[in-house]
Amino acid sequence: MADYLLYESATGYSLFDVVGADQIAAKTKEVQLSLQDISKFGKVVQLRSFIPFKNAAHALENANDISEGVLNDFLKNFLELNLPKASKKKKVSLGVQDKNLATSIKSEIDAIECDTSELTQDLLRGIRFHGDKLLKQLSPGDFERAQLGLGHSYSRAKVKFNVNRNDNMII
Amino acid sequence: GRGGAKGGAKVIIEPHRHAGVFIARGKEDLLVTRNLVPGESVYNEKRISVDSPDGTKVEYRVWNPFRSKLAAGILGGLDNIYIKPGARVLYLGAANGTSVSHVADVVGPEGLVYAVEFSHRSGRDLLNMAKKRTNVIPIVEDARHVQKYRMLVGMVDVVFADVAQPDQARIVALNAAAFLKNEGGVVISVKASCIDSTADAAVVFAREVKKMQEEKIKPQEQLTLEPYERDHCIIVGKYLRHQ
Repeated sequence: MADYLLYESATGYSLFDVVGADQIAAKTKEVQLSLQDISKFGKVVQLRSFIPFKNAAHALENANDISEGVLNDFLKNFLELNLPKASKKKKVSLGVQDKNLATSIKSEIDAIECDTSELTQDLLRGIRFHGDKLLKQLSPGDFERAQLGLGHSYSRAKVKFNVNRNDNMII
Repeated sequence: GRGGAKGGAKVIIEPHRHAGVFIARGKEDLLVTRNLVPGESVYNEKRISVDSPDGTKVEYRVWNPFRSKLAAGILGGLDNIYIKPGARVLYLGAANGTSVSHVADVVGPEGLVYAVEFSHRSGRDLLNMAKKRTNVIPIVEDARHVQKYRMLVGMVDVVFADVAQPDQARIVALNAAAFLKNEGGVVISVKASCIDSTADAAVVFAREVKKMQEEKIKPQEQLTLEPYERDHCIIVGKYLRHQ
């Protein structure tokens, strides 16, 4: 089981401590419903650190790297600074949503072991569900505003040709 | 034709059974949504302006069931579409955003539509539509690759899919696992020929229902889209992650 969780959002990266996941290991209805209850879920995961993106361009750069499963220097520094040092016997276990990013992290940071198990996925669902309530630095609506801006810039970059023109003529 | 929707005084707007959807009763009955961006059409659809009781004008846009499978499903009598004012919708297969624009009207300023479309050509139109509707978050990406756009999406109340891909049940399942609330809604438009062009449509629909069940989606209703579409159906279900 992961001891920490990495959650990537449009506003920035956050790390959570997993403090009581044994309670939710089984996939019963009650357990699933407790993920949706902030008073219970807040006892299972606790925010460890959060780093916002510097500006829109920085957010887009990170979104592109994350979408390709690339561990960039910004995320690497964030993980190295905020996760405890691994002991000789035991590596730090980090829950990550994406297997590609997990592979990148493992190959670049020796001390970290990544966990992409179903339990990790469920805990990350809980974080997504509660959103800004878990991040005290953010106010309601911050996530959505950041998603909107990033959705436009990410998509504009994907649409190769100029969005302001009606057509690209082939002569 | 005939500009039949003109002359708002004769048209009466009634709320539809589904919140956020309306019926305009005039010479003919039309399905409409309240225009989030008054004064503008998205795809040359007709607009109807009516006087509200307090004297202000309210504008509605005609929602054509021949151009939107969701509109066809609503007129066909779907019992629950999960899409309502304030809802957060993950819309897979957004195409150029015509149908999405009506969903954006339905969920209103308190709701959100994450609109995913892979085609760059359609994506360009989608982006332009979303410029005016700030409750639409455009995502030009392959809906199969949930990981690629996970930073752009929050938890949603309902997943709507009109992707016309043979593996659409899997596409919906991947997105539900990442983004759909437990007990959230799933609304899938199924085009039989896109999944298996040799089998009978009814057989294809039954297979899709089974696939959904295997993915923790409890089927609730199934409706064919006749007379608006041939060999199409909409399947509605509920995501029960704890099963």
